[in-house]
Amino acid sequence: MRIQEHPILIFERGSKITFTYNDMLLEGYEGETIAAALHAAGVRVLSHSHEKHRPRGFFCAIGNCSSCLMEVDGEPNVRICVEMVKDGMAVRTQEGKGDIL
Amino acid sequence: MKPAEVLIIGGGPAGLCAAISAAELGCKVLLADRNKKLGGQLVKQTHMFFGSEKQYASVRGIDIAGILLSKVENNENVEILSDTTILGIYEDGVVTADQSGNYFKIRPDAIIVATGASEKTLAFPYNDLPGVYGAGAVQTLMNEYGVKPGNRVVMLGAGNIGLIVSYQLMQAGVEVAAIVDASPKIGGYLVHASKIRRMGVPIYTGHTVKEAHGTETLKGVTIWQLDDKWNPIEGTEKRFDVDVMCISVGLTPLSELLWQAGCEMKYVNELGGFVPVRNEDLETSVKGIFVAGDVSGVEEASSAMVEGFLAGLSAANYLGYTIYNINEKKNDLHQQLNALRSGPVGEKIRKGISELIFSSEAAVSKEI
Repeated sequence: MRIQEHPILIFERGSKITFTYNDMLLEGYEGETIAAALHAAGVRVLSHSHEKHRPRGFFCAIGNCSSCLMEVDGEPNVRICVEMVKDGMAVRTQEGKGDIL
Repeated sequence: MKPAEVLIIGGGPAGLCAAISAAELGCKVLLADRNKKLGGQLVKQTHMFFGSEKQYASVRGIDIAGILLSKVENNENVEILSDTTILGIYEDGVVTADQSGNYFKIRPDAIIVATGASEKTLAFPYNDLPGVYGAGAVQTLMNEYGVKPGNRVVMLGAGNIGLIVSYQLMQAGVEVAAIVDASPKIGGYLVHASKIRRMGVPIYTGHTVKEAHGTETLKGVTIWQLDDKWNPIEGTEKRFDVDVMCISVGLTPLSELLWQAGCEMKYVNELGGFVPVRNEDLETSVKGIFVAGDVSGVEEASSAMVEGFLAGLSAANYLGYTIYNINEKKNDLHQQLNALRSGPVGEKIRKGISELIFSSEAAVSKEI
């Protein structure tokens, strides 16, 4: 689901990296957000709501709405739409509200 | 505690222009932005801007970001704090900040809040399904990162953003099944709408979403027609099998810091929600706090830039900096704003702003 040809834009992607999503190995590019890398890999459900367990995806993609919170390298409630993906990163679906202490 | 003359919060079109004009008067500027890269939402605007030459008309938004950035990056009067979120503005004038996990305090003599706006959503059954995205979110995904949001889209909202993003979706190779707007008339510029229609995309005015379909992700959308009292008409349902629905029903100012600072706020529907009361020079009811761009009322990036230049002049002048032709410069900026807000499209904005302005003695600046 990556755009290869575009009439206006040229995408200068960074070097290819690998990261895990719930222990599954995925590829991404340096300089893109975790959300972009996950979406390109076909992952759209990022978590489930606390009470009704409805699937959750991102909504605003610029760090405003908190719909995309996930656990990244053990840290909960990371806004993956503004956090850059890094080589070796472990991204996990977050269960519950996350424990930070 | 980090001292600062003017602290500008937000490095989008308004904040960048504010930094340029305050620095031009000799004022030391601290420009904070929560992102790693400045430019705000200009960085995903692939279309050419309207307005006049002064607002970079006919230049693409992405290129305007580059032009403005080059003017602040090598400016000795501007210090840029990227990856820095401003957390609060306190009674004693202290501002708290977080830069990549480091917490610190700033003591500015004046502040320009240029935090922008966030996308609104709309209430309908199953609007929370992954695949229901803000139109701006989809722009970020495809224009900044080169990732397709999906294969087939229904766009909700026929304002300028809805029309422009629909066109950009097609440029990215995504099919746009329909554009839907509850209003009986297309809200955006006709030139954008005509372009879309020529590409064969139907625009359903007087229609709204009945419900979204899907269990884990979006699989489809059903729309229905509204009567002249905006009530849905049974039997007019149309279903589209799509994996993305974009919501483009307007934006609302990101005004949390203004509330915390105690600025007088007023609900003005035409401007997107609660907006700060201010004078003609964009100073709020709290002395030394100025506003520019969407946080002071949702408009277009062109007017955000002009407001930024104006707020930069006003804040620098508040601190005693001036230039021989400051009033001429201000008048020119006011005229540019009037021109951008002229005509039937600007009527809403003009009405909204007229409810907000209080006149003040500071309206005429001291010249040398």
